[in-house]
Amino acid sequence: MSRPLCSSPIPEAELAAYWLGELEDSDAEDIEQHVFGCSHCSNLLKLLVRLGVGIRQVASEGTVHAVLTPAFVRQMKDNGLRVREYRLQPGTSVACTIAPDDDLVVSHLHAEFAGVNRLDLIFEDPDSGAQQRMQDLAFDRTADEIVLASNTRYLRELGTATRRVRLLAVQAGGDREIGTYTFNHSRYQA
Amino acid sequence: MIVLSPRAPAPYPWFVHELAPVPDDSELARRICAATPGHDVDAEAELCRRFAPRIRLYGLRHLRSDAAAADLVQDVLLMTLEKLRAGAVREVDKLASFILGTCRQTVIDARRSGGRRGRILETFAPTLDFAIEDSDTGLDTARLETCLEHLPERERSVLVMTFYDDRPADEVGSALGLSPGNVRVIRHRGIERLRRCVDEQTS
Repeated sequence: MSRPLCSSPIPEAELAAYWLGELEDSDAEDIEQHVFGCSHCSNLLKLLVRLGVGIRQVASEGTVHAVLTPAFVRQMKDNGLRVREYRLQPGTSVACTIAPDDDLVVSHLHAEFAGVNRLDLIFEDPDSGAQQRMQDLAFDRTADEIVLASNTRYLRELGTATRRVRLLAVQAGGDREIGTYTFNHSRYQA
Repeated sequence: MIVLSPRAPAPYPWFVHELAPVPDDSELARRICAATPGHDVDAEAELCRRFAPRIRLYGLRHLRSDAAAADLVQDVLLMTLEKLRAGAVREVDKLASFILGTCRQTVIDARRSGGRRGRILETFAPTLDFAIEDSDTGLDTARLETCLEHLPERERSVLVMTFYDDRPADEVGSALGLSPGNVRVIRHRGIERLRRCVDEQTS
């Protein structure tokens, strides 16, 4: 015989809001009361927390690429992560690498985002012509840069290679390129 | 500090799962009370196994520290057992509420509870061997990485920026130029998609 499931389970979105401190105190206390007496909902919360811990671990190890913000990168550095940073204006290139003790490699891609409603990014290998398109990035139109965190595992395996990033404003009538950035990557040499 | 070790697994867990009735919280509480001056070790172990994860979540939520949450689990479970053994829990039908109240009070009294904690641990440590499922590391990180890579860009940005340091929607939204409501929607979709991906790859 197994225990009955919860008759009024708390939606996961609400559990997330509780966990992240978004609820009024009284609502948070109601959820707490329910979770304490309910194995089903406490297990849901536990799974959510486990997922969050996993995401934190992956982010801390830099093994996922993502568009972040300058403030977020500062926070990671404040937390003790070693972050290698490159800053590029449109149309420029940079010689780049990843050191053995780097936790994270980020590129500050400067551009003018005013009037841009949707931003895509094309990551390409100019030699082979291979492309990967990242669609509909989260970005702040009032900022003058986006921060691209590269997957450190990918960078460590890259060797000597050139990669190009193009930022595109997606709009009616076709894409408008707002910046091209070239990365000349080589293996780290102490 | 006592070490909480897992109980040995039942020899035929499927048999136990199918046939053994699972005592509810109040039944556990009554058994522990009734056993005094002896101890119902099985009931105490089951109570610890059931509530330790919930107390730990409470501790993580309010103290934001693994070590502090682990201490809270020990403190609250030991105080709960002490009260139950002494017959000092008035409403055994509301055991979950009692334990939650103890959590709240323990967090409030954290600084003053040092001496009391030491005394209780001395009393209970030699006699208890209860299981605590407290690990949050049960996720396959490689699998999670793959699933994160497959998320739409916005969802990945929002999830990373949210869970790296447990940030609420308004903070994440202001950094990314999104409304808090929009962040919640993206976050919810991302969590669902991510969990589905992890589950599919697991199965």
